[in-house]
Amino acid sequence: MKIRWNPIVKKDLQVTARSMRLSWGLFAYDVVLVLAFLLALAVIQGESYSYYSDRNIYSYLITLFPVLAVAQVCIVALIAPIITASSISGEKERQTFDIMLTTCMSPFSIVLGKVVSAVIRILFFVAAGMPVMALAFVVGGLAWSSLLYFVLTIILLSVLSGSIGIFCSSICRKSISAVVLSFVIYFVIYILTFVPTILNLLWTEGDTVGEAPLLLLVNPGVFFEEFFMQLMTGESVFGSEMGTNFSQGSVGFVTYRLAQGKTWMFLSAACILVLAFWFMIAAAWNVDPMNHSGGKKRRKTKTAKKAA
Amino acid sequence: MLTINNLTKKYGKFTAVNHLSLHIPAGDLFGFVGPNGAGKTTTIRIVCGLLKPSSGSVQIGDTNAPIGSKEMKRLIGYVPDFFGVYDNLKVHEYMDFYGSMYGMQSRDIAKLTDDLLELVNLSDKREFYVDTLSRGMKQRLCVARALLHNPKLLILDEPSSGLDPRARVEMKELLKNLHSMGKTIVISSHILSELAEMCTSIGIMNRGQLMMAGRIEDIMQQVAGGKRIHIQAASGIETAVRLLMEQAGVAVESVRENEIIITNNATDEQMSALIGQLIQNQVVLTGFYREEGSLESLLMQLTGGGVQ
Repeated sequence: MKIRWNPIVKKDLQVTARSMRLSWGLFAYDVVLVLAFLLALAVIQGESYSYYSDRNIYSYLITLFPVLAVAQVCIVALIAPIITASSISGEKERQTFDIMLTTCMSPFSIVLGKVVSAVIRILFFVAAGMPVMALAFVVGGLAWSSLLYFVLTIILLSVLSGSIGIFCSSICRKSISAVVLSFVIYFVIYILTFVPTILNLLWTEGDTVGEAPLLLLVNPGVFFEEFFMQLMTGESVFGSEMGTNFSQGSVGFVTYRLAQGKTWMFLSAACILVLAFWFMIAAAWNVDPMNHSGGKKRRKTKTAKKAA
Repeated sequence: MLTINNLTKKYGKFTAVNHLSLHIPAGDLFGFVGPNGAGKTTTIRIVCGLLKPSSGSVQIGDTNAPIGSKEMKRLIGYVPDFFGVYDNLKVHEYMDFYGSMYGMQSRDIAKLTDDLLELVNLSDKREFYVDTLSRGMKQRLCVARALLHNPKLLILDEPSSGLDPRARVEMKELLKNLHSMGKTIVISSHILSELAEMCTSIGIMNRGQLMMAGRIEDIMQQVAGGKRIHIQAASGIETAVRLLMEQAGVAVESVRENEIIITNNATDEQMSALIGQLIQNQVVLTGFYREEGSLESLLMQLTGGGVQ
């Protein structure tokens, strides 16, 4: 059976692959990863030779994998909006978007194509980082499945970042505005989702956070922390970080039940996917001309006059 | 082929298109004429599914599909006034991309691409990158792209804008060719002489309203049978003006040193009687001619201003 590619994915990859920007981007990405690796190695060496250290160097070297993985996640989180936020606004700036909309592709297919091509482009970077990641395997203690799970989580992050970028791109006329808006949404998802939990802690003087941590299900940062905790120690981030305070009383009933085993991680992945899907639907709605009856705002009137 | 019923587009209080009704028969080459801001582009964008109308309907052929639906888009090939191309994409890849967006198979696209590139005289540019083509070539490529899915209706918005004289002639010849092949073409342009030369029918728009529409011969006849007459006299201008002002159905438009311009609705017999009367009253006539009709003069009459 012949796989039918979304034409946008094919075109975007064709155009990207021929661009020198991609080559330079991959080079810069690897340089940063290598620097992160060398820095981590230097710190580990320093720690292991320390007079007070009672552990051998190998027990420290095992931390290379999460260090490199977190470095990759941070870089991906940084570059994803830059890659995706210009995808639709870039088409608008280039004046190719109107032609795209007159074809038989539905707005959702256009958005999906853009997200998939963004995810694939991000995977180029992940693949380029593999030789550096492989250094972490040299010291042993890691299974191939760890790498596979890591790639899957990167794909999850890419889908969310891509969807946010496309959503912003569908709203903004200029790519730069879309990038800025993407980072604002990042801030809301990564940082502001902690606010209810912190406020609950303050109000109850540290007694309980109730069900407020449920909001963190959509926070990719918490998801990654949980992922690495599960991968490296087999424990939940809630169990270890909240320590002795973590009990049914310190959190709400639902949060407590979800924080057992790997339930939180899988549910969080599902919530992140649902959020990404929502951003895609919203982006598709935004770009569909049939959903905009003509603005009441003066700005749109001016544009309309210009178009007429 | 194209039937527009009571189409209205409002942006807040501004009405870009006001109750426009129009029928363009199959096989016509229809020219949309009007000053800037007349509503031509808005009408075209509504027909192509790029704008949602405030009210009214558009029908193409026998299809009763709503505006912006896939069925409707499949029937239309759209060439916008300004459009961009992608860097790092070859001519045949550009065609393949848009063909795929209409759900066509790559093999069919490749075959059609060869034929269409020949039609638009770009066969030798097949392997060229689209961004290296001249503006005229890009415009012709865009026409080839719009024809790829064999639409019933080809819509071109200002196809000659920004083209050099040679490219304009090539574009005109291309459109004539397409018309001779039986394509229904709607074209909006500011180059009225070109429209008068190649269109089979025209519609004149002003301030969102259709002022006049019909076969080009009928319209030009109206203009030719027109109403402006230049009377030149060596002496007796004052007498001539007085006599002309006394005539029913005659309005003196302007009086210069040796020339009077009048508008009249009189028959040829009445006009010859008028000439006789002028001669009898010692007006030394040196010239008496009807202004040659042109689309420009008609547009000026109908829109009450200069052509833009």
